[in-house]
Amino acid sequence: MKHGKRISLAGMLLGLLALVALAGPGAVAVAQEPIKIGVIQPLSGPVAASGNFVANGARIGADWVNERGGVLGRKIQLVIEDNKSDPKEAVTAAEKLIVRDKVPAIIGAWGSSMTLAAMPVVAKHGVPLLVETSSSIKITKQGNPWVFRISPPSEMEAAGLEKVLAQDLKIMNTDFLAVNTDWGRGAVGAFGDVLKKYGGKLHAVEYLDQAATDMYAQLTKIKNSPADWIMVTTDVGQIALILKQAAELGIKKKILTTGGSSAPNKLITLAGPAAEASYHIVIFLPWFPEAMPDAALAKRFVDEWNKRGLPFEGLTESFRGHDAVFTLAKAIEIAGKAEPTAIRDALKKVTWTGLNGPIKFDHEGQSWPSIYMIQIREGKITLPPFMRRS
Amino acid sequence: MLAAALVGVPVWLTNQYLVHLLILAGLFTILAVSLNLLLGYTGQLSLGHAAFFGIGAYTSALLDVHLGLSFWVGLPAAAVAAGLSGLLIGRLAFKLRGAYFVLVTISFAEVVRLVSLNWMELTQGPLGLPGIRPPSIRLGTMASIPFHGKGAYYWLVLALAALSYGIASRVVRSRIGRAFVALRENEALAESVGVDAFRTLVLATVLAAAMAGAAGSCYAHYVSFVGPEVFLFSYTITMVIMVIAGGKGTLLGPVAGAVIFTAVPEVLREAQQFQMTVYGAILILLVIFMPRGIVPYLKERRAGAP
Amino acid sequence: MDTLLQHLLNGIILGGTYALLGIGLTLIFGIMNVVNFAHGEFYTLGAFAAYFFLALLGVNFYVGVAAAIVAGVLIGALCERFVLRPLQGENIDTVMLVMIGVWIFMQNTELLIWGGIPQSIPHPFSPRPLIVGPLHVNSIRIFVFVVAFCLIGASHLAIQRTKLGKAMRATFQDREAAALMGVNIHRIHTVTFAFGSGLAAAAGALLGPIFLVYPSMGDLAALKAFSVVIMGGLGNFMGATFGGLMLGVAESLGAGYISSGYKDGIGFIMIIFVLLFRPAGLFGRAQRIG
Repeated sequence: MKHGKRISLAGMLLGLLALVALAGPGAVAVAQEPIKIGVIQPLSGPVAASGNFVANGARIGADWVNERGGVLGRKIQLVIEDNKSDPKEAVTAAEKLIVRDKVPAIIGAWGSSMTLAAMPVVAKHGVPLLVETSSSIKITKQGNPWVFRISPPSEMEAAGLEKVLAQDLKIMNTDFLAVNTDWGRGAVGAFGDVLKKYGGKLHAVEYLDQAATDMYAQLTKIKNSPADWIMVTTDVGQIALILKQAAELGIKKKILTTGGSSAPNKLITLAGPAAEASYHIVIFLPWFPEAMPDAALAKRFVDEWNKRGLPFEGLTESFRGHDAVFTLAKAIEIAGKAEPTAIRDALKKVTWTGLNGPIKFDHEGQSWPSIYMIQIREGKITLPPFMRRS
Repeated sequence: MLAAALVGVPVWLTNQYLVHLLILAGLFTILAVSLNLLLGYTGQLSLGHAAFFGIGAYTSALLDVHLGLSFWVGLPAAAVAAGLSGLLIGRLAFKLRGAYFVLVTISFAEVVRLVSLNWMELTQGPLGLPGIRPPSIRLGTMASIPFHGKGAYYWLVLALAALSYGIASRVVRSRIGRAFVALRENEALAESVGVDAFRTLVLATVLAAAMAGAAGSCYAHYVSFVGPEVFLFSYTITMVIMVIAGGKGTLLGPVAGAVIFTAVPEVLREAQQFQMTVYGAILILLVIFMPRGIVPYLKERRAGAP
Repeated sequence: MDTLLQHLLNGIILGGTYALLGIGLTLIFGIMNVVNFAHGEFYTLGAFAAYFFLALLGVNFYVGVAAAIVAGVLIGALCERFVLRPLQGENIDTVMLVMIGVWIFMQNTELLIWGGIPQSIPHPFSPRPLIVGPLHVNSIRIFVFVVAFCLIGASHLAIQRTKLGKAMRATFQDREAAALMGVNIHRIHTVTFAFGSGLAAAAGALLGPIFLVYPSMGDLAALKAFSVVIMGGLGNFMGATFGGLMLGVAESLGAGYISSGYKDGIGFIMIIFVLLFRPAGLFGRAQRIG
């Protein structure tokens, strides 16, 4: 069987390498080997689009690192695996990457359930996991020393925008419509807490199934609530449907979407006039790269993405792949070797400014990303005045 | 020979990834064997089987996370909980036959999934239950060694898989087993010779459910994270594929199906974005060329029949 | 009271779409006895075909929808000829398994071709709601509701009144007798499956512009279609229609008054209750076909 052959072949190769290594500093041949970095993303199933965006962002990151001569004189090679939106597959992918491909670090796994399932695997094998998208607060609270995250949990997202919500948008009474996943529920909890803090109030809280396409029932209930805002947490497809159906029902409330998955320009295409005047929380501003902390880098990334013919709406997620790859590259540089434990220790020392903003991990392995907001006006993305001050 | 090799795996197979795959294959063997009792032997297409797996997983997980009870309590509890739900759904569903039965099983599984997704206080809903502790072996009264590394899990799963195969084998050869087959072939005739269809079918369901629940418990402690994904219809579909493609109504069929259909997606990883498309194509071709399943096909070939 | 009416209206229109999903499957599952797990994929195929003709080629709306239906019929015929016919006479489970394979194959091929990003289909109907008193309803939904009922009616007539329809019913009631009477069994199988798939594609092409188009859109639709078909009594067009309406209204009211998280669960609980009290479906006693 194929695997059997691979084992004995690998065994022979390892044996040879051991001999060579023992024989003396003839390890030059080994040094030219690329450094493999594992990437686990949902490449099939209902969120395949997002997984592919992140993977493509990572590819740009790897290509750029290699253009500059790689890391420690070696090129970076991404090994990308599909987790099929199934936690058990995330586990299998992690095992395969660590055992067969011997990656010293992994980026993944998009969805919080997949990431949580992969975490014990990386802990057991001792390989750092850089979380790029998952939002569940549990990820950094498990006490797993191998986990680092550059994406914000909902709590951080809400806290980062407290002033904007309270003073600029003046959201005092809002409904909430969220997708029934850890992400949606987490957002309701996090934003609810922030609202309470400054004296705002949550009225109708409704959930929708991940696969739902008809939200009339929930929206009818929302229509009857006295709140003047609706906060929405779900992906671009469902947001578009919510906006359209809300307009169809004659709902006149102001809308704010959270979570950074609104892909606003896709939203304009999908929802048309129904998207007018809505606000959206995003983690990257591909329309205004000049407003990002490293404006030049942001512009380069957007240009490269467009050059590769990739869909523009992917930019609201793909930057994560790029930032994750660069963060790992920098960690490997600091560590001086592509070895898991060294990389883990080096990650604690990494500090640089990525596409989203400054990346630096706290004692729980959490970095504090910047949060932004845009508004759709007259079919275009605009940066609200309160976002323009530095 | 093969048995010795299988038992010795943690000793001679150092590739942990492959051991992991064998553990998964073992879990799915239990699931496929249990589903085969219903689908293959009694001829009832139960498409809610993932529900029993999930109930077992959640039972074991909740007992550990909320009450700190170890796997050795969780495992039998999971089997019992799943068995009881099998009793419940069996008593409800077996008032029906055919497509109506199928639909009730699907509906039941979906309702259970939605409960796990929405009953936040109990299951934490979509946030899931992380941090389920591995089983541990007690030494005397003081020390206990937790399962470390895959070896122990492998032996556990191997033992349970062998046990479930043994149980299935015994049942199938017994009077009950003959009753199953009689019901599958001609229910009216079976009843006329004294087989109580309702009770027999419910018994089959309870047994299948308990086995699936036990597999669920192992899964929970092995992966150490349980979320509503365990109830996904795609899990049931995978089990169905394993049973039918392996050869329903045979003893080895589900085992072959479990092993092959755990291996195939892994091998297909090489195909990158074409993985699942190729998987679908393979399945179609497999069914067209081996309509009864792999094991019956191989048996026919060996017997020399065309 | 207004809210109740709005929920009811929502439910009826939603139910109409479910009925549309169900009629194609009633032919294939109810009459041909094929557990067609790929039914949702023909729905998706219809939607993507409509997307292709309407959004990418810019064809007239009604022509585009018709073209999408034709696409569904053709692919359905191909599927029957090359996948189902070799398995004729095989166990129902074997056929079910091959359709699972088709499901996986079609959905992932669609993912490869179109990517996973949801797309929208342009249509000539105004996005602004029609307001009748306190009730809001969208004009395209009314259009789809009307078309759905026309399709249901036309299919019913086709099965009951035409020669082809009679041949179909004869074939599936008693194959040997039909063959002896000179019916071309192979052709009937192909036509029936293509017909059912075409109806699924019609549902996709009509619902695509209301909702969105993405490769996994068929999964939930297929599940609902099965529920509707079985509840209505296998092979019973009117039953499936009524079942669809019931499901839509139950979901709407359930989500409106009980809990939106359990919205889909309401449908399934209702199914369980219906089948417990009427084990052959709502209209099971009625004639098995048509």
